[in-house]
Amino acid sequence: MRSSEIYKVIEVNKLNKIYDSGEVKVHALRGVSLFIEKGDLVAIMGPSGSGKSTFMNILGCLDKSTSGEYFLDGKNVSNMTKDELADIRNDLIGFVFQGFNLLSRTSALENVQLPLLYSRARAYHSKERDELAKKALDSVGLSGRYNHQPNQLSGGQQQRVAIARALIKNPAMILADEPTGNLDSRTSVEIMNIFQTMNRRNGITVVLVTHSDEIARFADRVIVLRDGKVKEDIRNDNPENAEEMLKQMPLPEDDL
Amino acid sequence: MTVWATMRIALKALYANKLRTVLTMLGIIIGVASVITMVSIGQGVSKSVEANISSLGTNILTITPATIKSGGVHQSGFMVQTLTVDDSYAISTECPMVAYASPMVRRSMQIVYGNQNWNTSVYGVSYNYNLIRNWNVAQGEFFTEQDVKGSSKVCVVGSSVVENLFVNDNPIGQVIRVQKVPFRIVGVLETKGEGMGGDQDDCIMVPYTTALSRISRMKYIQSIVCSAISEDMTNAAINEISSLLRQRHRILDGEEDDFTIRSQMDLAEAMAETTGMLTLFLSAIAFISLLVGGIGIMNIMLVSVTERIREIGIRMALGARGGDVLKQFLFESMTLSLFGGVIGILSGVVLSLLLARFADLNTFISVEAIVISFLFSAGVGVFFGFYPAWQASKLDPIEALRHE
Ligand SMILES: Nc1ncnc2c1ncn2[C@@H]1O[C@H](COP(=O)(O)OP(=O)(O)OP(=O)(O)O)[C@@H](O)[C@H]1O
Ligand SMILES: [Mg+2]
Repeated sequence: MRSSEIYKVIEVNKLNKIYDSGEVKVHALRGVSLFIEKGDLVAIMGPSGSGKSTFMNILGCLDKSTSGEYFLDGKNVSNMTKDELADIRNDLIGFVFQGFNLLSRTSALENVQLPLLYSRARAYHSKERDELAKKALDSVGLSGRYNHQPNQLSGGQQQRVAIARALIKNPAMILADEPTGNLDSRTSVEIMNIFQTMNRRNGITVVLVTHSDEIARFADRVIVLRDGKVKEDIRNDNPENAEEMLKQMPLPEDDL
Repeated sequence: MTVWATMRIALKALYANKLRTVLTMLGIIIGVASVITMVSIGQGVSKSVEANISSLGTNILTITPATIKSGGVHQSGFMVQTLTVDDSYAISTECPMVAYASPMVRRSMQIVYGNQNWNTSVYGVSYNYNLIRNWNVAQGEFFTEQDVKGSSKVCVVGSSVVENLFVNDNPIGQVIRVQKVPFRIVGVLETKGEGMGGDQDDCIMVPYTTALSRISRMKYIQSIVCSAISEDMTNAAINEISSLLRQRHRILDGEEDDFTIRSQMDLAEAMAETTGMLTLFLSAIAFISLLVGGIGIMNIMLVSVTERIREIGIRMALGARGGDVLKQFLFESMTLSLFGGVIGILSGVVLSLLLARFADLNTFISVEAIVISFLFSAGVGVFFGFYPAWQASKLDPIEALRHE
């Protein structure tokens, strides 16, 4: 039963996922039940192989659970068709991957616009797409890099492009699977700063997977998975502020 | 997703792989260009054959001895002598639908003028042969009835013979020798141009009486040539000649004719059939090469899909439906084939024009061939692009993203 004062963006019941590759069956999720409140910044942790990515892929409607129910924004996603799932991904979800997943030989501006191309709710013409993409790139601090291609950008910058792409359609939530996995500590804090700002300023729900306790300190809630089950679920009423932390950190030039 | 956006993605992908794009298109370009060229050669040939046949006159009938069996052995019609000068005379006097009739004997022989010689066709015909063929005399006159009756040693020559033997001299009144027999030239025929079996103007005509009596290699008449009073009456004339000759040759009911009557129409039909076959054959070869081009597109599109599985995964993760991916790849293959088609049409047209100009071939560029090969190349793009595009659209987003 839902309580009246909190809004559950995500609610999953007895989620199971079994990977069946012929001979071996891997039970990656074993009856995960939880909900995530709108406007929360949630970190998912756990040892390697505990099912974090599997869980995220199901939350992101990229993959389907073997059994169990999943409600996203109140809609039952479990029995939607492929096309309906594609539309959900386009309308409600912004993805950020560990490996960035940008299109190569394609400018930052064009990469950021991709979700607009596949929008079904309304069509965006190219001028509008450019404007929105520039705004999104500006908001992640990449104003001067509109026409750079991924191979001309640093890892941190590529991740910012990916975040700008996730933000461009103003999604209900952002899902990020190890978004700082490939980045150094300062850049990681910078990325967390963007997430925190989006979360606090625009009320976007953020769910991210991380291995690092440093990163988890920025979250309002930490969910720990082990062997496909929820092991711990801790609320943190005093999350670290990334912006404050950045001010205290030495600038890259001072590293020398 | 808008058509324009899909097109831009397709063009970008093709532009990113310029060399591959050009090579793939080359298959379609060659295919379409060869369809256009082959069809235009085929149609050019049939047009010129049609023109030649009507230049011969469509009311002309040729009667030759039939191939008959004697003692179980087939003999060529030209080896037997069933047609006579009297037959020819009877046809011209007793068949109302026949305007003129002339016996004919023809052989390729060497003619000599002064110290020069020339190989040409020597015709032994009657004084009315130029009327049958509707062939005017440019200079002098055709030989007369008296010349035929008196076996005069006179001749009329075609313009090609004049060009080759009489560079400066006026040919009228000159004497040429055929197998040592001297013939005085009384007329030069108008130029008629190329016909079936070569240059129609490369000939000389002598009275058939003189040919049969003086030229040792001309012993009997080979055929009778006649003209119906009009084109419409050709069939009526054939019937008249047929019954007259059956009666004259005493052929009983139920027995086969010992002669064959052929009209230019029959010949035209036979030729049209042959050239039609030629066109069909040439276009079949060309279409096969177009098909090979299409398979090339399919091959490249399959490679392209496999190479870009990750890209497909990213697009799907961001909200592309299977249908969007299908459209994107179909657009790519269609762009390949349509661009290839247009370039192919242009090169085919240019090639046909060059062939007409420099290879002395008659070509006829038909709008149908252009339209058909354009539609066909578009069809090739859709048909051969569909399977790879469909495969791409069926990918699972998460599997595609995991792909290395
Ligand atoms: N496509 C797949 N086919 C088969 N088994 C899979 C597949 N993907 C994941 N698994 C298995 O499911 C289990 C959970 O994998 P998952 O990727 O969710 O772990 P994870 O918590 O994200 O680990 P990591 O921290 O290393 O990323 C693992 O045992 C893994 O081997
Ligand atoms: Mg993982």
